[in-house]
Amino acid sequence: MPSVWRRLGLQARITFLFATGGLLLSILMATSTLTFARRNLIEDRRQRAFAVLVRNAIQLNDRLDNETDPEDIDLIFDTLTVTERSFPLLNFQDRWTSEQTLVFNEDNIPAALVDYVAEGSAARITTSLNDKPAFIMGIPIPGVEAAYYEAALADDVEQALRILGIIVTGVAVATTLLAAATGAWASRRVLTPLAEVRGAAESLAAGELDTRLDPPADADLASLTASFNRMARTLEDRIERDARFASAVSHELRSPLMTLNASIEVLQNNCEELSARSRTALDLLTDDAIRFTHLIEDLLEINRYDVGTASLHAERLDLVEFVRQCIAHSPFSANLDVGNLSVLPITGDKRRLKQVVTNLLDNATKYGHDLRVELAEQDKWASLAVEDHGPGVPPDEREIIFDRFSRGSAGRHRGHGTGTGLGLSLVAEHVGLHGGHVKVEDRLDGQSGARFVVKLALRVPRLNLDTDNVESAEHKQET
Amino acid sequence: MGTRILTVEDDERIRTVVEFALEDEGWTVEGVDTGEEALRSFSRSAADVVLIDIMLPGVDGFEVCRSIRQMSDVPIVMVTARADTHDVVAGLEAGADDYLTKPFATKELSARIRALLRRTRTTPPGSVQMIFGDLEILPDQGVVRVAGREVHVTKTEFRLLVEFAVQPGRVLSRETLLGRVWDYGYFGDNRIVDVHIRRLRTKIEPDPASPRHIVTVRGLGYKLQA
Repeated sequence: MPSVWRRLGLQARITFLFATGGLLLSILMATSTLTFARRNLIEDRRQRAFAVLVRNAIQLNDRLDNETDPEDIDLIFDTLTVTERSFPLLNFQDRWTSEQTLVFNEDNIPAALVDYVAEGSAARITTSLNDKPAFIMGIPIPGVEAAYYEAALADDVEQALRILGIIVTGVAVATTLLAAATGAWASRRVLTPLAEVRGAAESLAAGELDTRLDPPADADLASLTASFNRMARTLEDRIERDARFASAVSHELRSPLMTLNASIEVLQNNCEELSARSRTALDLLTDDAIRFTHLIEDLLEINRYDVGTASLHAERLDLVEFVRQCIAHSPFSANLDVGNLSVLPITGDKRRLKQVVTNLLDNATKYGHDLRVELAEQDKWASLAVEDHGPGVPPDEREIIFDRFSRGSAGRHRGHGTGTGLGLSLVAEHVGLHGGHVKVEDRLDGQSGARFVVKLALRVPRLNLDTDNVESAEHKQET
Repeated sequence: MGTRILTVEDDERIRTVVEFALEDEGWTVEGVDTGEEALRSFSRSAADVVLIDIMLPGVDGFEVCRSIRQMSDVPIVMVTARADTHDVVAGLEAGADDYLTKPFATKELSARIRALLRRTRTTPPGSVQMIFGDLEILPDQGVVRVAGREVHVTKTEFRLLVEFAVQPGRVLSRETLLGRVWDYGYFGDNRIVDVHIRRLRTKIEPDPASPRHIVTVRGLGYKLQA
C-alpha cells in the first residue's frame, strides 16, 4: 500500500486526502443529524400518543361502569379521541372491542404488555403493526376491571426520517465531491508552477537554450523561478561559450592551414629539386597536413550543429547515381550492390551526404579493402548499407560509436585511414539533419564484420522521370 | 605576353603561396592586398582572371567584384570562408563566375582558372548566326542581340548561352551545364548555374520574372526556346 500510495502523483494524493476528509466529516454530520432527528421525532410522537391514550382512558373510566351494556360500548368508542393513525381496543368484561378489528385486535398485543396491564400498570411497547412501525400502549381502567389499549402507527415518522436520510446522504456525497474538487483544484494550483518548470526543463534539454520562466505572480514561487532562470542562463552561456570557442579556434586555424597546404603543394610541384630525405619529410608533412585539415573541417562542420547554424541545402537526388559518384570520387574501392534498382529518388544535401558516404567508406576501409555497399528500397525509405570485414561492433558499443572521438574497442588503433574521430558523429548528425537515421549491426551474411545502415526518406516522385541524366537540383532560389 | 592573373588577398602569406602556385602553372601573377589597390591595378592594365577574397579590409570583395564587372567581363573567382553561407550566392550575384572555399588546394584553384580561360568551341563550323525569336547569337563574334540591340554578356554567360543554342529545345541539367561550362564533376555546386541563369535572364529576357527564352523544366534543368 505505501508503495502504491507513493506511486500516486502528488495531485492524486492531495485530491484523495481532501475527498476522504470531506467524506468523514459529512458522515459524522449525517449520523448525528439523523440520530438527533430520530430521537426527537419518535419521542415526541410517543409522548403525544401516550397523552391521547391517557385522555381516552379517563374518558372510558368516566363512561363505563359495571352495568354498562356491552352493546353501548360502540357508542362510547365514538366519543374517544381517534386519529387516522391510532386504533383503540378495549377489553371490558373479557370482551374485546376494536374500532378496526382487521388492523388492530387482541392478537396484535404482545403478551408482555397484557401481563403488565393485568398487574395494574400502564405500559407501552415500540413494535410493528402489520409491518409498519407502531407503538402499542395499554392502561388498566381499575374501576370497571377493564383494560384499554391503543396502537399508534409511526410510519409517517419513519417516512420523514427516510426522506431526511436521503437528503443528508445527498448532501454528504455532494460535500465529498466538492472536497475532492477543491483538493484537485488546490493541488493543481500548487503544481502548475512545477509543470511550467518541467516544461521549461524539457525544452532546455531539447536544445532550446533560451528557454526562461516568466516571473510568477506568487511570491512563494519567485525564488524557484529565479533559480531556474539563473541555471538556464548559466547553461546557455557555457554552451555558447564552448561553441564560440571551438568555432573561433577552427576559423583561426583555416588561414595558417591554407598557407601550410598551399606551401606543401608548391613544394610538391617542385619536389624534383629536393633531396630524397627532404622528399620523405615532405611526404610525412603532407600526410599530417591532410589529416589536420580534415580534423579542422570536421570540427567546423560539427560545430555548426552545436551552434545551431547547420542548414540543409537540399536538392533532388538519385541515391543510386549519387553513391556511384561518391565511390568513384573517393580513394576507396567498394562493390556497389543495387539489386534490381534503377533509381532511388531522395531529397538531400549533396555536400553532407557525400561526407556520409565517404566517412562510412573511410571507417570501413580500416578493416580491409573489399567493401560492400548495398542500396535498397524499404517501404518509404532508401537504405544505404556499408559492410566491412572487421571484427564488428559489440552490441554495447553500437550507440556510443557515433559519439565524438569515441573509438570502439576494435578501432583503437590509429595510423592509417584519415579518421578524425568525428567521422561517424558527423554521419549521425548529417543523417539526422536529413530526417533519417543510422545504425550499426552485424553483417547479414553471417560473416564477421560490421554493417552500417543509413535510412533516408524516399522522395515521392511528382514527375514521372526517365533515368537519363534527370536528377538535378531544384534549388530554392530558383525563380 | 602570357595569361595575367590578379589576386586580391589581405593575408600576405596566403597571397605569397598562391602567387607561387599560379606562377608554377606558367601564369603571370600580380598580388595586391586591398580592394582599392586591386581596382587601381585593374584599371591600369586588365587581367585575364581575377581572384578575390571576400573578407578584405576597406572595400570588401563583393564591392571589388561589382566594380570590376562594370569595367570588364573578365572571369572572376571569389574566395569565401564557408560554402554553406549566403556569401557564395552573394558573391555570384555580385558578378563572380565561380567560387572557392578556404582552405582550398592550389591544384583546385588552377583547375578553376583553366576552366574559365578555356575558349569554348562547341559551335558547329559554319554556323555564324543562331536566331531564337528576337534573340540572336553570333558565336564567332561573341555577340548577343535582343530585338536587334546588342546585349553585353560576360564570357561565362556567353558560353552558357551557346551551350543551349547548339542544342535548341534540348533540356540541359545543372550537372551537365556545370560540367560543360565550368568543368565541374558530379559534386559541383548547382547554385553557380542557377545564379548565372538568373543573371542571363535579366539581360536577354523581356520579362525576367516569366522567362520566354531560357525556361526552367522542373526537376530536370533548363532549355532554350524561341
